[in-house]
Amino acid sequence: MKRLFEFIGFEPGRFHARWISGSEAQKVVETARKVTEEVRALGPNKKMRDDRC
Amino acid sequence: MLKEKIKSTVTELLENKRIDFVIGYGAGSDAGTVRPAFVKSVEEVEQLIWSPFAVNNLAKFVMDHLYENIKIGVIVKGCDSRSVIRLVQDKVFPRENFYVIGVPCKGILDKNKVAKDFDLSGDLVDFTEQGDEVILKTSKGEFKLRKEDYLLDKCYRCETPTPVVYDVLLGEEVAPFRTDDYEDVKAIENLSVEEKSRYWDKQFEKCIRCYACRNVCSACNCRDCVFDMAEPNWVGKAANLSENTAFHLIRAWHVAGRCVDCGECSRVCPMGIPVNTLNRKMIKDMKELFAVETPGKNPEQGPVLGTFRTDDPEEFM
Ligand code: SF4
Ligand code: SF4
Ligand code: SF4
Repeated sequence: MKRLFEFIGFEPGRFHARWISGSEAQKVVETARKVTEEVRALGPNKKMRDDRC
Repeated sequence: MLKEKIKSTVTELLENKRIDFVIGYGAGSDAGTVRPAFVKSVEEVEQLIWSPFAVNNLAKFVMDHLYENIKIGVIVKGCDSRSVIRLVQDKVFPRENFYVIGVPCKGILDKNKVAKDFDLSGDLVDFTEQGDEVILKTSKGEFKLRKEDYLLDKCYRCETPTPVVYDVLLGEEVAPFRTDDYEDVKAIENLSVEEKSRYWDKQFEKCIRCYACRNVCSACNCRDCVFDMAEPNWVGKAANLSENTAFHLIRAWHVAGRCVDCGECSRVCPMGIPVNTLNRKMIKDMKELFAVETPGKNPEQGPVLGTFRTDDPEEFM
């Protein structure tokens, strides 16, 4: 999924996929932090924005 | 000649009531075109032809006869035969209802490439092949061309020139003599993020959502397609860049691991969108990640994404 997103021109880091079990609280936090940081660095998404609500 | 072999084989099958009808090729509107021909009786066998332009993948047409107690003969080239496996593996059409008439294939001509250099507006009267040369005898004249210069793109990377499944094979087996290097996919992978985005935006923008790519596809064999549903409205029906991008991404994922790389989706697109390149990207990735073969090539290999192995790579863990 990530590879196809990047193939059509989404920035690497725009999309994340992680497998996290319900008992891995620490991993949830770490992942959320990482995703937020990376996406913030990329700025607002410009793709697929018209007319989708 | 192949045409005569096809006719005699089909005549015999129909006479002995081994099949109910056959899906083959008939003459199209000009020398570079064929049309699917549905032959139900011995009298209609005359319609059947073979042509160096026999591009259509005919396997999907059996889907008009789901749940019927019927036996359908289908003429398939190497690449089309992978679709037969697809339809059988997806339990859409049972193997015993197929009578597969296999044609070993050394490549099909791309009529768009040929039409640039020759006048194909007449009817194809006959053709002969000598080694690498084809002589097309049309009502507008005789043309001699080097096959290698005018093949369909997919034929330059064909892995299965001989059908992988058949009940009868019309001709000598052709050993695989090419490999697929995915140059088309790599060329796009090597672009920058912005270039990729611009390239695909330009393609997706053109899409008129006619769904010809889906209709022709043997992996698109769901009884109810998400793109038709209004309730729930999984995908917007508007033809704009965002919705079209969503459509193409969803379709690529829906056929991932099942697309047999027959190239029909790109061929039928009226807007010239290289639909199949998305699927080829997925196939290339799956080959790299899971060491699998092109779907439909190996009947023993199930749908890639429907298979679990403990040693699968886990990039997302
Ligand atoms: S891809 Fe292979 S089997 Fe299909 S038309 Fe081309 S050469 Fe023939
Ligand atoms: S065939 Fe082309 S225009 Fe039609 S829906 Fe598919 S990609 Fe869009
Ligand atoms: S997605 Fe395209 S190439 Fe793949 S099976 Fe369907 S029509 Fe053929």
